[in-house]
Amino acid sequence: MLLLVPLAIPVLGAGLILCFRNPRVATRVALLLGALEIGALGAVVWQVHARGELRQGLYLRADGLSSFFLMGIAFISGLVLVYASGYLRHMGEGRFSSPRWFYALVFLFLFTMISVCLSANLGFLWIMMEGTTLASALLVGFYNTEGALEAGWKYLVVCTVGIAFALFGTIVLYLAAVKAGMSPAAALDWVSLMDAAPRIGLDPHLVKLAFVFVIVGYGTKVGFVPMHSWLPDAHAEAPTPISALLSAVLLNCAMYAVMRYDAIVSRAVGPAFSHTLLLIFGVTSMVVAGLLILVQQNLKRLMAYSSIEHMGIIAIGLGLGGPLGLFGALLHAFNHSVAKSLLFFGAGNVRHHVHTLRIDGIRGISRSMPQTSAALLVGGLAIVGLPPFSLFISEFAILSEAFAQARYLVVILFLVVLSVVFGGFAFHFFRMLCGEPDRDAENSRLIPSEYIAMGIAGSCLLFFGARIPYLFGLLLREAMAVLQ
Amino acid sequence: MGLVGIATEKILSSFSVFLFLTILLLAVARRISTCVLLFSLQSAVITAEVLATAFQEKLVGVYVVGLLVFAIKVVAIPRAFFLLTKRLKTVRDVKASTTPTQSVFIAVAMIYLSYAAVHSYGQAVQVPDDALAAAISLILTGAFLMVSRKKALMQMLGLLVLENGIFLAALITTFGMPLVIEIGIFFDILMGLLLMGIFTFRISDTFEHLDVSKLRRLRG
Amino acid sequence: MKITAEILQVLILILGAPLVRGIIARMKALLQRRQGANIWRPYAELFKLLRKEDLVPPTSSAVFRLAPIVLFGATACTTAFVPLVHASALLGSYGDFFLLVYLLALGRFFLSLGALDGGSAFGGMGASREALVSSLAEAPFLLGLVALAISASRTDLAGIVAWTLAQNIFNISVVHILVLTSLAMVALAETGRMPVDNPTTHLELTMIHEGMVLEYSGPSLALIEWAGAIKLHVMLALLIALFCPWGMASTWSGLGITLAVLLYCAKAAALLILLSVIESAVAKLRMYLVPDFLGVASAVSALAVIFTTWVKR
Repeated sequence: MLLLVPLAIPVLGAGLILCFRNPRVATRVALLLGALEIGALGAVVWQVHARGELRQGLYLRADGLSSFFLMGIAFISGLVLVYASGYLRHMGEGRFSSPRWFYALVFLFLFTMISVCLSANLGFLWIMMEGTTLASALLVGFYNTEGALEAGWKYLVVCTVGIAFALFGTIVLYLAAVKAGMSPAAALDWVSLMDAAPRIGLDPHLVKLAFVFVIVGYGTKVGFVPMHSWLPDAHAEAPTPISALLSAVLLNCAMYAVMRYDAIVSRAVGPAFSHTLLLIFGVTSMVVAGLLILVQQNLKRLMAYSSIEHMGIIAIGLGLGGPLGLFGALLHAFNHSVAKSLLFFGAGNVRHHVHTLRIDGIRGISRSMPQTSAALLVGGLAIVGLPPFSLFISEFAILSEAFAQARYLVVILFLVVLSVVFGGFAFHFFRMLCGEPDRDAENSRLIPSEYIAMGIAGSCLLFFGARIPYLFGLLLREAMAVLQ
Repeated sequence: MGLVGIATEKILSSFSVFLFLTILLLAVARRISTCVLLFSLQSAVITAEVLATAFQEKLVGVYVVGLLVFAIKVVAIPRAFFLLTKRLKTVRDVKASTTPTQSVFIAVAMIYLSYAAVHSYGQAVQVPDDALAAAISLILTGAFLMVSRKKALMQMLGLLVLENGIFLAALITTFGMPLVIEIGIFFDILMGLLLMGIFTFRISDTFEHLDVSKLRRLRG
Repeated sequence: MKITAEILQVLILILGAPLVRGIIARMKALLQRRQGANIWRPYAELFKLLRKEDLVPPTSSAVFRLAPIVLFGATACTTAFVPLVHASALLGSYGDFFLLVYLLALGRFFLSLGALDGGSAFGGMGASREALVSSLAEAPFLLGLVALAISASRTDLAGIVAWTLAQNIFNISVVHILVLTSLAMVALAETGRMPVDNPTTHLELTMIHEGMVLEYSGPSLALIEWAGAIKLHVMLALLIALFCPWGMASTWSGLGITLAVLLYCAKAAALLILLSVIESAVAKLRMYLVPDFLGVASAVSALAVIFTTWVKR
């Protein structure tokens, strides 16, 4: 019963918000619903921690891994809602571009992502994953500009095709399960598949074929490199709170789906095949995105490529396996969400005050927008993996695992790309922060919503870099246990 | 029921022929309305195959799926496409980036590739070669249409052909997944098409054309 | 009895050819809601032309006068290879489908030479266009027939028809459907019908076949017209024999042969109706699109040949 609550709140809330035409009332209702949702998700996480697993009907289930990702969703969506409440004051009034439509679509989007994390059935997972694409397409094209429409169209088409391939992979896995003797109803259920995996793995060809299609399909949503073409456009042209949601939450949900399939396939045919594929995609994404960071001219596109790079790092962590690799991957998923949200919040502020996102058009913001530039600096240092911040811990864990497994090529590429990215970020940020500003420090004080959102994010990065809180560590361990 | 039985058997053994014909005709079609009509015929052939499978395997759920396919893909979606082309007042040409001869040769190559793929994987499943090869050729054709046709509506149609192929592959090998999942998949596809329709309207309003190859502002 | 039936086939094909032309013209007129001419009109035309004087351009050579005779002779020869009422033909054991295709090509080649020899501009233009169309049509024609021959493991037409007769009509063969599509397109191109060429056009710049015969008159023109009609009849009979031969007599009895003739007339009538509808419905392709049209036919034939390796029948 409890599992239905965090699903019902966003759906009903979306309908509720549409009833309020006044933007301020809609915003307040949205914040209230957001708080309720976070509470519901917290209750689910607490129950899973107490009991180990929650089930509801055939299609919903929450275990350690789900609750870890749900916690991440709750945290980031809270920050985004708080930030958006202030950001939308700049939004114009259009027939479909008013704040109430914005919040309604955001809640629908959240509904689909939470369903992905709560699904027990692979078919349901697919349906909800396609739902995330559909729910966010209108959000990406929210501003009706040429760039936004192009980005939205590309996003919709590329992701739908990718997910169609993931459907094919799901079907092939279902076929393998049915051939191994499972009943049709159980052949799509994750727990039953995990139990019967060794039996299914007796015919490895179908299982391997299934995983190839799944990693290509869901990998399109994650942003792995040959299939990443939609990502920079979508993340750059969407409104800033949506960019944060896409980068920080949606990519994680897609990675969650890949993790579920990886668990089944590893148990069926052994970890070598799936982990090799994950390593290949991860290293390629990291290297290509890291190199492309150097030539970026748009601030949000720069951050989008950074997201691709970090998803590559998470994939490397998953592909390496082992306790440290898994620990690093899961922790990195969370840390990256927080850091990327902080960066996008800062970028949103920059856009409102300087009215451009081109890096060569932004100068001297350390003087014209001191608080925002401090946030950007913190975010930038965190995202390249420098020590006092939490990403250093997760990247160090993954690197240690690579050393332990004597995969020296991975280590070298990892370190080289990290250095290159550090150089790139330093170069771009130096150009933006220093120099003579075009505008004075007018109206650049942060309003409370922005303060709260960016402050929480920044302090979380610092805090987690120092030590991981006890409860968080417990949840992390439970998540790892599911995958081992 | 002897006649129905015979008809079912004939449908199951020869429907792939008609799918190959629609694939070849899709490769050479030059107007959007022709392509939509071909898609509708293709879906009708697939409906026949679904109903024949349901009759032979005596699965009630598959009957429902067959009716859904007919209602959605043979009737609703083509009508929506025709309405869309009328409302958008777009030029009717398909704007292919390959000549008809090249397209047909590529279609032939894809059919050959799908047969080759079925030969290597076909031992794993006991299904007739033709049917599975038809499904895989549909997938490849859908992808080819999306890549080589530069109109937004043709990209939507290519996506639909791709989904047709995946659906057919699922049906042939596993006689359909659980009914609820199938309905969910249909619903998703419908929503996806609805959204794409909305986007084409907006693109047509903003850009004054529907040529996606000209949507190249964002690069790098 | 065997020889009689086979000679009957040849006579039906040769003497019935103008009737085919007449029926098509009448049906097209009916589709256009005109009354149209009598279906026996082409015979009257042939008689009229045979009684007229044969004029030749002063600059032409013997080739000009030889061309109609070679054309008629080669085309009439092909009628001896096509089975009509029985799965055998007069010269069936002396040649296979290659000979058929190249006899038709021989006639066409001489017609082009004659047109060039006539010295008029339109003759040259028609000849060059005809060369393009026929060279492109040859590949799908041969490939299609090769695919059928591989399926039947025989190359002589009579043998292929005999093999087809032995098959079950309800087992739809992929190869046959593809070859039917391809050969239908080739037939339209070879016989100069829409959409490749308009046989009733009076605009010289749009002519392919008609342009080549502009200089001919009298008996030469009669032979050329008749040869054209025979070619159309042969292609139709070929399509019927290769794809729908059921109904052909299996013995040499008079009753069987008569029934087969009637059945052939019915099938030919159906095919003629279809041809008239197609001719009335489609517009002529512009010249630069004809290679695309024939390219599609080539690809379909190639696919049919590839399929003969996959489809085990």
